[in-house]
Amino acid sequence: MSSPILLEAVGIEKYYGKFAALGGVNLKVRANTVHSVIGPNGAGKTTLFHMLTGTKSVSAGRILFDGYDVTHEPDHRRVQRGIARSFQVTSLFQSLSVRENLRLAAQGIAPAMAMNCWHPPEGRRSCAETVANVLSKLGLESFATVPAGNLSHGQQRRLEVGMALAARPKAIFLDEPTSGMGIDDLDEMKRFIKSLRADHTVVLIEHNMNIVMDISDTVTVMQQGKVLAEGLPHEIRSNDSVRAAYLGNMITGGKA
Amino acid sequence: MNIYLLQIINGVGIGMLYFLLAVGLSIVFGLLRFVNFAHGAFYLLGAYFCYQMTRWGMSFWLALVVVPLAVGAIGWLTEKLMLRHVYATAHEFHIVITVGLALAIQELVILQWGPLGDNVPVPDLLQGVVMWGSFIYPKYRLFVIGFTSILAVVLWYVLEGTRLGSAVRAGSESTEMVSLLGINVFRIFSLVFALGAATAALAGVLAAPIRGAEPFMGIEALGIAFVVVVVGGMGSFSGALLGGLLIGIVQSVMSTLWPEGARLMIYIAMASVLLLRPHGLLGRKE
Amino acid sequence: MKKNTHLFLALAVVLIMPLLMNSGSLASEVLIFGLAAMGCNLLLGFTGLLSFGQGIFFGLGSYTIALTLTRWPLPMPVALVLAMVMGGLGAAIVGWIAIRQKGTYFVMLTLAFAQMFYFIAYTATGLTGGDNGLLDIPRPSITVFGQTLWPLVTPWQFYGFVAVVFMVAFWLLLKVSRSTFGRTLLAVRDNEERAGAIGYNLKILKLQAFIISGVVTGLAGALHAMMTGIAPLSNAEYHTSEMILVMTVIGGTGNLFASVLGSAFYLLLADWLSTLWPRWLLLLGLVLIAVSLWMQRGLWGLGEKLWAAVGRKRDRASSQSRAPGEKA
Repeated sequence: MSSPILLEAVGIEKYYGKFAALGGVNLKVRANTVHSVIGPNGAGKTTLFHMLTGTKSVSAGRILFDGYDVTHEPDHRRVQRGIARSFQVTSLFQSLSVRENLRLAAQGIAPAMAMNCWHPPEGRRSCAETVANVLSKLGLESFATVPAGNLSHGQQRRLEVGMALAARPKAIFLDEPTSGMGIDDLDEMKRFIKSLRADHTVVLIEHNMNIVMDISDTVTVMQQGKVLAEGLPHEIRSNDSVRAAYLGNMITGGKA
Repeated sequence: MNIYLLQIINGVGIGMLYFLLAVGLSIVFGLLRFVNFAHGAFYLLGAYFCYQMTRWGMSFWLALVVVPLAVGAIGWLTEKLMLRHVYATAHEFHIVITVGLALAIQELVILQWGPLGDNVPVPDLLQGVVMWGSFIYPKYRLFVIGFTSILAVVLWYVLEGTRLGSAVRAGSESTEMVSLLGINVFRIFSLVFALGAATAALAGVLAAPIRGAEPFMGIEALGIAFVVVVVGGMGSFSGALLGGLLIGIVQSVMSTLWPEGARLMIYIAMASVLLLRPHGLLGRKE
Repeated sequence: MKKNTHLFLALAVVLIMPLLMNSGSLASEVLIFGLAAMGCNLLLGFTGLLSFGQGIFFGLGSYTIALTLTRWPLPMPVALVLAMVMGGLGAAIVGWIAIRQKGTYFVMLTLAFAQMFYFIAYTATGLTGGDNGLLDIPRPSITVFGQTLWPLVTPWQFYGFVAVVFMVAFWLLLKVSRSTFGRTLLAVRDNEERAGAIGYNLKILKLQAFIISGVVTGLAGALHAMMTGIAPLSNAEYHTSEMILVMTVIGGTGNLFASVLGSAFYLLLADWLSTLWPRWLLLLGLVLIAVSLWMQRGLWGLGEKLWAAVGRKRDRASSQSRAPGEKA
């Protein structure tokens, strides 16, 4: 039943001056699973994401992805390895259309084409198929020409996820994809993330325990820069130290 | 008298003026995240207003008080009426609007006082030299060193010891937090900008008897201020002091060894700091 | 048809100027600084990089053509290409170092480099003539096998040459701006962090933008030197970089033809006003303030607004009834 390990992080440390944001984190993520990372605010979840996706560099430790040591590779290199992410705070190209946002994300895996100063991104270069694919998966076809800045918050969050998807990654890192979403959007998003498992490995930061418990294969709980516990959702739910870390109420499945 | 000692003292004098010139630019950047390309123009106004006042027969001492207040008021109005409206736009417009302002002020100065420079007389009390054994030095320059040192202490006290100062320092970290604490952030912006303009003008007043008032001194001052602020650290009071003294002394000493090289060295220093330690010697890491 | 509108607009400007203006030199200057402003726009409007270093590349172009036409006489086309290469090289060096920092620090770095270049130009009198600059730059006519194909003696003859070079350069830059590279630059301008996060190497992208900008600006500097016959120190001065930036911003960022508007506006205003009122720069300062406050898209943006307003008037004036749901 166990699929092979796609991503392995060993002894990850991150210091900002004297402050230890991450004090030695080990993580193993198996291919084609949904692996959630949860924990109280300040636990270091997003910092861990930054380390794994290459947004920022580690102070110590190693990161192995798909057999390669990517520890010192910057984020743009890791995209070509098959790692893509969405951001907790929406970070789109506000003045560009939805379609253009996705085209850029799709093209990002072959960035050499972006150096082409002669040919416009038409035909082969337009990544039309990928873009159309993602647009339909996100339900944003009718907004293709709208500037990303004009979308509603929920639509922007969907596009956030779409940007990561357009890179057709092996591992997709979603940082609180449902933050700020209303109830209708939430259920859609939950189903959507669950469906990603077939073609991708999903690493998820979420505060919404309903979603976490429902769709995760593995849950890692972090606290103050270290891993507190790891296991199947029901194991985590009944773990005393996890309950203590959250002061009890968030694990029982109530809304975050 | 030993020529190097002379140059070092000169350097300290120039350095203190540079500090006064740069500290406003630095603090404005620290709080408003705004690079004011019109900063040199306030220095220019300081020198010319001083010149005008002495032309009208008023005392230099009066100018020392009135001119910074006047230019400070101009700075206050500038922030309130103009700059406030570009905070939200792309950062290139911060630069462009202050470049436009600097240009306009420079042309107004030339319009009013002509394109050639003018001399500003040293106040009677401070004319001549001080003689202490073999130590001979112009009184006025000693006064500049003393006066700016006292001013530095006063400014330091304002920044560290008063509520306004705390608000400014806190605001440099997070304007959101400061406004949540109930402090009117915008009023502080205007005040800080006015203070920046006033200190630049004061530097202009002090510099006027030494080098006169001349329309293009604003651009020159801006260049120096940028270097001092970058080297010392953007947003740092002590950085402006350290940077000012460093640049002043280096410039002064170099002027006897290799005059042309002095300016080149300064800009190499600026580039090096930007590349190796962009937050400057004493600035805060972003 | 929309694709070629900008090209036609540029062509229109090129053809109209000889009809409306007296001075061939001024007309050439408009195109020359139009090129320089476009180079600046590629960095500012497309990549989001505010560079105070354009004077460096402009100066390099001037000095190179001066040296290659006077000291080691090379055929003029070769000299021109060499000037462009030097501009690109200078931009590669400055860019490679400056892009290590972002935002205000980047701007300051370009300022520092501009100052350093000025002093190198000032002191390397053997190469640059120092304060005097390089003088007596010839304007060789275009010859083939000793036969003069195209004399470039009079200002208007030279204008013809500049016009051709300008149109070719404009067409090429237009292609660049619409290329995959150009579109990626727009993303870098919009949200640099995200561009990096989705796989683009920002350093390489910015460097390529710098090099193209340097090549175009070097070309402008070379043409300017040929037109005036001198390569002065002032080309490397802060004022030149500032002037180019001002033209770019007034014209409107993010649109190549707008840079030509900016150049025309600045130079024509200067020419017209400077004899009437020596303090015309005061007006320019006020224009800059006005643009920053109310006209951030520059003259081009103003033109767009007027065009849209005219369009609306026409719609209202027409007697056709509107279909339900159709917007005005």
